[in-house]
Amino acid sequence: MSRADDGSPGFGVTVAALAVVVFLQVPVIVVVLAAFSTTSYLTIPPQGVTLAWFGKVLSDPTYLAAIRMSLILAFGSTAISLVLGVAAAYALFRKALPGAEAITSFLMAPLILPAVVIGVALLQYFSLTGLRGSLFSLLMAHVVITAPYIVRSALASLSGVDLATEEAARVLGANGLEAFRLVTLPLILPGLVAGALFAFITSLDNVPVTIFLISANQTTLPVLIFTSVEMGVDPSIAAVSTLLIVGTGATLLIAERWSGFHRFV
Amino acid sequence: MIRYRHGIMLLAPLALVLAGFFLLPVVMMLPTSFREYVPGLGLAPGVWTLENYTRIITDDYYREVIWRTLGLGLFVTLACLLLGYPLAYLIARGPERWRVPLILLVVFPMLLNLVVRSFGWIALLANRGLVNNLLTELGLIASPLKLMFNLTGLMIGLTHIYLPFMVLMLVAAIRNVPRDVEAAAATLGSSRAHVFAAVTLPLSAPGILAGSILVFVLTISALVTPRMLGGPTFKVMATLIYDEYMQLLDWPSGSALSFALTFMAIGVIWLSSRLTRNWAGMA
Amino acid sequence: MSSLTFDRLGKSYSGAIVVSDVSMTIKEGEFVSLLGPSGCGKTTILRMVAGLVEPDRGRILIGDEDVTALPPNRRGLGLVFQSYALFPHLTVFENVAFGLRRRKVTGAELDKRVREALALVRLDAFAARYPRQLSGGQQQRVAIARALAPRPRVLLFDEPLSNLDAQLRDEMQIELKRLQRGLGITTLFVTHDQGEALSMSDRVGVMAKGVMQQFATPEDIYHRPATGFVAGFIGKPNRLSGQVVSRNGAGGSVRLGASLILPAAHVDAVEGAMVDVVIRQEAVGLRRGRAESDALAGVVALRSFSGPRVQYVVKLTDDVELVAEAPSSGPDSALAIGSKVLLAIDPLAVFAMTAEAIA
Repeated sequence: MSRADDGSPGFGVTVAALAVVVFLQVPVIVVVLAAFSTTSYLTIPPQGVTLAWFGKVLSDPTYLAAIRMSLILAFGSTAISLVLGVAAAYALFRKALPGAEAITSFLMAPLILPAVVIGVALLQYFSLTGLRGSLFSLLMAHVVITAPYIVRSALASLSGVDLATEEAARVLGANGLEAFRLVTLPLILPGLVAGALFAFITSLDNVPVTIFLISANQTTLPVLIFTSVEMGVDPSIAAVSTLLIVGTGATLLIAERWSGFHRFV
Repeated sequence: MIRYRHGIMLLAPLALVLAGFFLLPVVMMLPTSFREYVPGLGLAPGVWTLENYTRIITDDYYREVIWRTLGLGLFVTLACLLLGYPLAYLIARGPERWRVPLILLVVFPMLLNLVVRSFGWIALLANRGLVNNLLTELGLIASPLKLMFNLTGLMIGLTHIYLPFMVLMLVAAIRNVPRDVEAAAATLGSSRAHVFAAVTLPLSAPGILAGSILVFVLTISALVTPRMLGGPTFKVMATLIYDEYMQLLDWPSGSALSFALTFMAIGVIWLSSRLTRNWAGMA
Repeated sequence: MSSLTFDRLGKSYSGAIVVSDVSMTIKEGEFVSLLGPSGCGKTTILRMVAGLVEPDRGRILIGDEDVTALPPNRRGLGLVFQSYALFPHLTVFENVAFGLRRRKVTGAELDKRVREALALVRLDAFAARYPRQLSGGQQQRVAIARALAPRPRVLLFDEPLSNLDAQLRDEMQIELKRLQRGLGITTLFVTHDQGEALSMSDRVGVMAKGVMQQFATPEDIYHRPATGFVAGFIGKPNRLSGQVVSRNGAGGSVRLGASLILPAAHVDAVEGAMVDVVIRQEAVGLRRGRAESDALAGVVALRSFSGPRVQYVVKLTDDVELVAEAPSSGPDSALAIGSKVLLAIDPLAVFAMTAEAIA
């Protein structure tokens, strides 16, 4: 029981807050319901339950190709961003160069620019340089939008590391790389996992940059859903969305279990 | 201290990628924005003009889109503040064992694919969507409410999308308000409401500002949700740029609009950082 | 075991000189302290020896080997940090084993040497614990075991005891000394605590503002300070303002306040200059009595008891007071306020120098 003056939320605030929590989950629930519905529009209560839409999605070559492309881009760009981003963050942490603040701002700049602007800029650029539609250019575009998340979480994690532990490792006989690998890396790993998760989701989720860069015979999952919706709503969209929902939920729970994810948001 | 050249080696790969695939492309867009587009032919050779920029201010249609975008940004930011503060307060000050589940419930929709979330709102707000079906069945309305392809649907959808960002920033801000200052106010005779208005709210102001800036900038930059909930005719700046490029193929105009949107975003961020610096003494 | 030499070490940061032309040779098996206030450059010297900071000028030699250009992991040193810097994600055993693993020691040999090191600091039972489960003193000892396990040629300490409470600090001082003697390991110990330096060291190097003031045995440092700074830093000094009245060789006489003239054996300023005068409390002799020709007469203004000794604030003239000590169990231990006393001040204990020298 909370006393009136101890600053804990009262009944009204609690109810309002919980209502907002429900509000946040509503579209997600609706999508899942629609995926199982026999009708192409939604009613409450739903008129029938079926798994047909899931079967349709998982056997459709267009969907499968899109899923494959999305996963390649997401894993690829996250991996590249991890290596490049952690290296850059480490250099900043050890103050190896002057102007750390300016450099950090530059590395974070893709977060500030509207995604659509990055998309159209790359469209023009790739058209000019003939790279349009290649996997390499798509991958680099995704590295640009995911790297800032890695840099940010790496910097945050590194700020909690006592430099003296690395120095101790060096005096004890470890060279620079060993000292990083054996001492610093294990300590920043939880934060990096969180950053990698954000980066992965950002790539998997992305439409505003990707949509300008794909060519006729390739697409990613979110772009496919996006363009499909323009042509009319269909429960198979709900089915593939539900697959994404389940995947995201499972990943979140694993990340929470493994590294206490909630600390890093 | 590690040596200078090691620092360069560590920083160079990422810096080069960003320079080559971010900085350069954006910079190269600048000249394009001063060219003229001839339908069917492409860029008119040798013609340089300010028309693409002046058109933004003089053309009624463009002006309407800009005002709509900014207005949307403002509404959504306010809505996120009003809805988000109670939830942030509950997470920051409520029972300890609710904290992690609540945070996960806030983060989960945020991680979820944007297209999926927008699709969920379509399923809810369309003429044959869940909301209309429910209201019709309950006999509350005779014909479906128009909740999509207009400002209403867009506001609801965008508020939902960006609410988690606001909540998380507010949680951090409220947790930074020292509880003993609130206790001091209470012992000096303040009622609960007064403590909140006079102490908690002002001291969480930097977080409120940070969250508001974030949501505002994200909202005016949004492409997916406005496109899906607003349709091809009800435009905001990002969807306008999309159409200029993909449908009209008018790259010069699209580039100019892109820079306009970018300056708006950066301008807002710069203004807020000036404000925060003035407030820094308050902490 | 090796000797440690540094030769004309110099280091500046952004134009400010942090270490200036410092040279020192530490003999094999010797325990040497670097003593001085914060900012005097002692930690910078230690880090240069360890290889964590690159000197601008000078060389560092371990035995006969010039290690100035070697990275820290190839110098064969041990370093105990002020914050202990234990690896939080490794057990005590793995912390201590770290240096051995880097030298490719494995298996039974590794196990034996880790347990040896832990036994030296009496932490054998804690091998499986993590650093966060240990107290400050225990963490300190793990840090020492970790530094010793690889059998370094030279052992370095960076203010290792400053985070411990007073009693633990005293115990650790004795234990460290015993350890060092037993192993015969060349040791360089950095501290700002003069009691620590004087009690543990074979020799002490006193530093101020990047310059070595004096490098000598603790007794010499205490009884025969070579510079005004050392005189003012060691022991408990009286500090007064004065003016140089006359010069005579290395010394002269100074006037304290308006009228009190005192002969001084160390005067570092010209005639007429305004100076700071330092007189060690322990060097002021005190006894009861009335005015005599060659002693200074004064009146007791304040008395304070501090265990083994008693301090008196003695008013000599209207504007000059000095603090003098007497043993607390002797004949002068209970002088009342207002008593007349005589002070004898040895000119050799009087140092006069311009203000910056002590700052």
